Amino acid sequence: MAEAGGLAIADFRAALHRWLDTHHDDLAPAYSPPGTLDEQIAQMQRVKSLLFGADWMRYGWPERVGGLGGSPMLRTELGAALAARDLTDPGLFSLIEVLAPTLIDFAAPALAAVVVPRLLSGQEMWCQGFSEPGTGSDLAALACRAVPDGDADTASTWVITGQKVWTSLAQYSDRCVLLARTGAAESRHRGITAFFVDMDTPGITVSPLEMINGVREFAEVFFDDVAVPADRILGEVNGGWSVAMSILPYERSSCFWQRIAYLYRRLEQLVEVAGDDDRSAAVVGDAFVQLHALRARSRATQHRLASGATLGAETSIDKVLVATAEQATYDAVRRLLPGAVEIDDGTAAAAWRAEYLYSRAATIYGGTAEVQRNIIARRLLDLGGGE
Amino acid sequence: MMDPAERALLEDTIRAALADAGTSADTVLAGLGWLEMLDTEPRDAVDIVFETLGATNRAATALDDVLAGALGRKPGPDLAVLLPPFGAWDPPAHISDGHARALGLATARVATARNLLIVGHTGSGPVAATVPVASIDVCAVRGIDPDAGFHTVRVDHSPVVDQVGDPAAWEAAVALGRRATARQIAGATRAMLSLARTHALERVQFGRPIASFQAVRHRLANTLLAIEALEATLAAAGDEPNPLTAALAKATAGYAARTVATNCQQVLAGIGFTTDHPFHRFLKRTMVLEGLFGSGEEITLAIGRELIAERRVPTLIEL
Repeated sequence: MAEAGGLAIADFRAALHRWLDTHHDDLAPAYSPPGTLDEQIAQMQRVKSLLFGADWMRYGWPERVGGLGGSPMLRTELGAALAARDLTDPGLFSLIEVLAPTLIDFAAPALAAVVVPRLLSGQEMWCQGFSEPGTGSDLAALACRAVPDGDADTASTWVITGQKVWTSLAQYSDRCVLLARTGAAESRHRGITAFFVDMDTPGITVSPLEMINGVREFAEVFFDDVAVPADRILGEVNGGWSVAMSILPYERSSCFWQRIAYLYRRLEQLVEVAGDDDRSAAVVGDAFVQLHALRARSRATQHRLASGATLGAETSIDKVLVATAEQATYDAVRRLLPGAVEIDDGTAAAAWRAEYLYSRAATIYGGTAEVQRNIIARRLLDLGGGE
Repeated sequence: MMDPAERALLEDTIRAALADAGTSADTVLAGLGWLEMLDTEPRDAVDIVFETLGATNRAATALDDVLAGALGRKPGPDLAVLLPPFGAWDPPAHISDGHARALGLATARVATARNLLIVGHTGSGPVAATVPVASIDVCAVRGIDPDAGFHTVRVDHSPVVDQVGDPAAWEAAVALGRRATARQIAGATRAMLSLARTHALERVQFGRPIASFQAVRHRLANTLLAIEALEATLAAAGDEPNPLTAALAKATAGYAARTVATNCQQVLAGIGFTTDHPFHRFLKRTMVLEGLFGSGEEITLAIGRELIAERRVPTLIEL
């Protein structure tokens, strides 16, 4: 079951879907989509708890953090199955993929053994404090500062001051994986350290931001002389850049596959109600061609990762394709369901509207489409330095 | 399947052999054992040969062998295959009372082969049959790319032999034809990108290579994105061979051909507008190849109709 081979994954997928079929009534949300963010978060944590209790949430995670081992692709299959069934929002659920591996790879083993199972089982929520008001695409410019209380090598406490923004679900979170400046102001990626901060530490203020679709998913987080024990440093002091970069392979494989499963489901919902005419066929066909190319690309990326390859700049291709296909899917909704996004006040239309608006961010978050193209030009096409 | 090193070696060998413009591409492929490869390693043979034909802009008639095999016939230089008219993919012939009528295309093989394999509608499903080339009208196409070697074919009441009914065979032949032509387009788009990239690094304007300008860099990035998407769909069509994955690869090839040609031509600017530079050959060849077994737009429309008729969006490939 826990092997990475194609057959074992197919077996896992089949068994998982049988279980999800059997337990559909327990797992389904009590509200009709989209629901409020409070409802979505409660649903996600409830689903995680049920899945952890039935072991599904443990496959693909190391045994030392409460997992059952096996290929990380097993947890990708789980996330994709949940997204395809609309049991959780993949954007929120797949945050696990950019948080838990950081603890597993960089925290003291005893800490990871205690906290990771709490994240997987839905007992806790965590957030990621990377972006800052002055740090959008240029993460290495971050300024939130951590200062040792005494000598950096022996200090038992570090004190953090500064501001984060675009911190997803900060107001629900028990912990934060935080990047802070520990080197000189101009030290760029060489002077950053990662911390695992309890969100109930005195001096932290969370101020949710209302997104363009009316949801308060993101927040500003203010740190005002926040004392963090030195044993909460993840990795090395001034080694935070490699912690941040270590997330990329998970974000660009598992998270994308879950997002893709969700987009297939959304396109299917559109196809269920689309008109039986050539214009609709052309629009639907175009979105499907793009989704298929994306799925084919993402599949190849995950097989490379599973075979031990180090993922790098070539995942900027995946990133641009996922953003383009996501926007194409919701553009198709807007073209084929006139008024659904703009003036329809029904429940189904509210979901399309919220997701349409959210999809506009796909070319912005996680490195803008322009930054990805710069990376493609420099690293994949070897065009040398740009202007 | 071959391992990656074997594939790379074979590709280099074929590419080097095809560089000899004095020998026809068909002669080169025959000398390298194309028909044996097609028989023993069909996926690799089609992938490598058509990629290389695309990358070198050589014209061969290997497509006839791929289609003949898919239609259950023994491929070889004496058997040409009737292709649908430009842009279409329905069986191109009508067969009744032991005689065929058809309009379609053929590769240059039709000028030398003894027989033409045709697939046509009958009252009861499509059948494959052969007609003697001596009984049909053949005319070499010049069009935008005379070197591609295509011919128009008109079959008017030719007697058919070896008639075999197999409704699934034509669908399988179209799928393989789409994979082969999409692979050839992939090779050609890689060649166009390479030409544009080299030009961008060498061409100096305003005191620096134009490759340093972000507008140019993003055009070339978009070019690579289109090619990588195409290659991913081709790999998927090889791993999960069926009519829909092949159709999706050919549709993606159509879009890639247009995106790549547009961006590379703009980067190449003046020199790309001349016949002194090789770009125009790749542009013209991909324009012709896009029309074989359906353009990106036409296939996309057909797929969209199918999804709406079924009210379903299949995932097709799994991890």
